[in-house]
Amino acid sequence: MEEKKTSPGASSPGNPTPAQPADNQYTQWYEVKAGDTLWKIAKQVYGDGSLYNNIFKANQDTLSDPDKIKVGQRLRIP
Amino acid sequence: MKSRSAFAAFLSLVFAAALLAGCANQMEPAKKAITDIEAALSAAGPDAAKYVPDQVQAVTSQLSDLKMKFDQKDFKGVIAAAPALLTQAQALAGSAGSAKQAAEAAHAAALQALTAEWTALSASLPAAVSAIESRVDVLSKSKKLPANLDAATFDSVKSGLADAKSLWGQATAAQAAGNMEQAVTLAKQVKAKADAALTALGMSAG
Repeated sequence: MEEKKTSPGASSPGNPTPAQPADNQYTQWYEVKAGDTLWKIAKQVYGDGSLYNNIFKANQDTLSDPDKIKVGQRLRIP
Repeated sequence: MKSRSAFAAFLSLVFAAALLAGCANQMEPAKKAITDIEAALSAAGPDAAKYVPDQVQAVTSQLSDLKMKFDQKDFKGVIAAAPALLTQAQALAGSAGSAKQAAEAAHAAALQALTAEWTALSASLPAAVSAIESRVDVLSKSKKLPANLDAATFDSVKSGLADAKSLWGQATAAQAAGNMEQAVTLAKQVKAKADAALTALGMSAG
């Protein structure tokens, strides 16, 4: 799995989002590929798919459903 | 014959008296010359000793020689050497002022450089430490570490994170106390630990 430091994807400024640390140069980003799920990403990054909720929570400004991620979407990886 | 000898003795006395009078005439100017040099040396003040110690030492040493000549009643020698030494002593204050100004400018430049370094480090390190801490917190809950991270490396990351947090606390305390040099030194240690942890965790910084 490749974690990249890229600029964040489109945000939804109109949506209320839970408080989270502001993005900075050390924010880690992952670009969703075909066939990815949050579980798979968590398994790759953390070694444990059950920790997917950490990724979901860190991306609630752009994700409303953990099962709905899009190819090319950039996700914060806490 | 007797009167000739008496006359010679008289002449000797006159000569000796003239010699003594001559010496006495030169003693006061010699004494004043030394006093003037001492005054000039004293007027240069502590800045001279601090900023141009070699020049102060040179004047002090020559002044000692002059005093020795005075003690040996070589007033002529004192008077001959005194003007140059007086000029040297009078120049001390100016030299010290210039050296002090240069030292203060160098100090200000060094402080400015340290402040710029601190500004850059303090702008990035808390975020780096926070990112590492966040990742360590999640990984600590993992039943199995990711393929690119073994347990020993993860332990070392955790230990490095604890060190980095402690060092960062010391760095900010040093900065708050005005010790910019120590603050930057400690911050650089934090950066080294943070960089090592980021690398071990496969995290990158943009």
